[in-house]
Amino acid sequence: MDQPPPTSSEPPPSTTTAPPPTTTSPSPEPPPLTTTTTSPSLPPLPQNPKHPTHHLPTSQPLPLPPQPLNPLSRSPFNRPYHPFSHFNSMTNHSSTASSSSISPAQRGGMALGVPAHPSPQPPSSFSSLTPPSFGSQFGRGGNVNAPDSVPTTTTPQVRPSISGMQGVGMMGSLGSGSSLRPTGVPAPHPQRPMPPSLRPQTSASNQSPTTQNFQDHSHLRHPSVGSSASPAPNNTPQNTQPHNQPWLSSGAQGKPPLPPASFRPQMNPPTLQQRSHLPPQQQIAMPASTQQPQTSSSLHSQPSSLSQQSQDQHYSLPPSRVPQSLAHQQQMARNRGLGNQRPFAPGISQSSPVAPPPAFNKPPPAVEPTESCTRIISKRSIQEIVSQIDPAERLDPEVEDILVDIADDFVESVTTFACSLAKHRKSNTLESKDILLHLEKNWNMNLPGFSGDEIKCYKKPFGNDVHRERLAVIKKSITAAETPSVKSSG
Amino acid sequence: MSNNNSSVGASSKARVGPSQPSETSFKRKRGVFQKDLQHMMYGFGDDPNPLPETVALVEDIVVEYVTDMVHKAQDIASKRGKLLTEDFLFLIRKDLPKLNRCTELLSMNEELKQARKAFDVDEEKLASAE
Repeated sequence: MDQPPPTSSEPPPSTTTAPPPTTTSPSPEPPPLTTTTTSPSLPPLPQNPKHPTHHLPTSQPLPLPPQPLNPLSRSPFNRPYHPFSHFNSMTNHSSTASSSSISPAQRGGMALGVPAHPSPQPPSSFSSLTPPSFGSQFGRGGNVNAPDSVPTTTTPQVRPSISGMQGVGMMGSLGSGSSLRPTGVPAPHPQRPMPPSLRPQTSASNQSPTTQNFQDHSHLRHPSVGSSASPAPNNTPQNTQPHNQPWLSSGAQGKPPLPPASFRPQMNPPTLQQRSHLPPQQQIAMPASTQQPQTSSSLHSQPSSLSQQSQDQHYSLPPSRVPQSLAHQQQMARNRGLGNQRPFAPGISQSSPVAPPPAFNKPPPAVEPTESCTRIISKRSIQEIVSQIDPAERLDPEVEDILVDIADDFVESVTTFACSLAKHRKSNTLESKDILLHLEKNWNMNLPGFSGDEIKCYKKPFGNDVHRERLAVIKKSITAAETPSVKSSG
Repeated sequence: MSNNNSSVGASSKARVGPSQPSETSFKRKRGVFQKDLQHMMYGFGDDPNPLPETVALVEDIVVEYVTDMVHKAQDIASKRGKLLTEDFLFLIRKDLPKLNRCTELLSMNEELKQARKAFDVDEEKLASAE
């Protein structure tokens, strides 16, 4: 998509187009849901693919771009979720200028850094977000080249499958967790509970639409989910909560009620990938799809309740520690998710930490819906971070949208790679050292205070014998050449 | 960076790691800089009694910085074989305030050495004179 960074000229046209879709959103929801789920291009607002998603938030109550709140509602479709395309187009065009402008100064509390030395291509699971090693471009997707093609390959698979809101049940549970979270703290859940600000808005619209429609699309067990899904459209975790609980209690439904824990690990990686394809709805599908191998829904329901409780604990973390808390929460989520998976299928659990692709493959469709409705960080948090830098500073809504997307992409890519590191460590648990290693080597980010008690052992630089001999010969020749000149000068 | 943290320089070197290149990671002693860091933090504007978590975090930062610096210096010095002060100065060449402070401390160290030597010599003279 070649879209120059959202300019002032762009918003007006997009905003004008946006309102009409929103108005129609309530009514056509049921039909659009089915259609929307089928194709990423989504009928309702296909015309604004180029328009940055930012327009929507301003015009519509639904804040999140693509999917988040109304899986089927048109408004999200206004911007068929092309967060990455935005990144790519914007980075390609404006690229260094815009990215550098946003770089460290606006990062606020986030400890982002640029690699000091040319590091090996950092894994870029998502085209839109890559570690700073790509030069001035701040993690933008400009360089999508995906040195790490694993996540990208999984994305295509995941996206089509995500359809429908199977995750509704999950969203409900997520919502409860997220609701407890202070606004200042970004939603740590990998499940991406809808940001609190978004929830109220979306709840109304979400509920009716689509959950039913999504079910058809989602390969996960929609039938049971359908009833539960409807109450909890992706975006309103809070509203869905009451609905989801019956799910959890019944535990039979399968995907949608899938415990947030299981949902989480799968959510994160596929979230970003699927986002671009699936318009809103899919969030629920992710958990459902992830559970495809589902061994027993009851198992899912139990872990989900547990995970919810544990998630609540995380919310007490101070906002200043958001990035770190995010990492922790992600770890916890992953750990739980992995733990949850174990009972289901040993193979699955092993595969999940193995590499992001398996995780993505599992819940292919599910990721999208959940992701759309749940972001790692909310716009409110972005504003708070900006206020820490400059109290009088205000960001454009498009910029806030992009930043939210960047945050999501970052968290997902880091967690994905950290999982592969954990797998490399032959462990089923994601630990802080995995994330720390990835950030240190690929993002040049040092996070003090998390490394535990290990001392970094120094490894003498290994030199080959042949290399050493050659260096000695060179030295000799240099000294030999110098001595005559010294003698002559002296 | 013992030059910079003159007060804790001695302990920092010792903490870098065991002399033998072993694969086992040794447990890092916590609170090595606790007392000194509290005073330093107060000097830089913190509360006279900072939180223990804050002190632990600052200590982690310091240890990480020193460890990283020493590893890099060793990488540079491995070619020569010996680790010299110049290696550390080379590493902070881009940070002018640090570099100037380092050179200032090194020169002060030299002056003190000279003064002590002169003092000792004087004492010897006095002793011999008596």
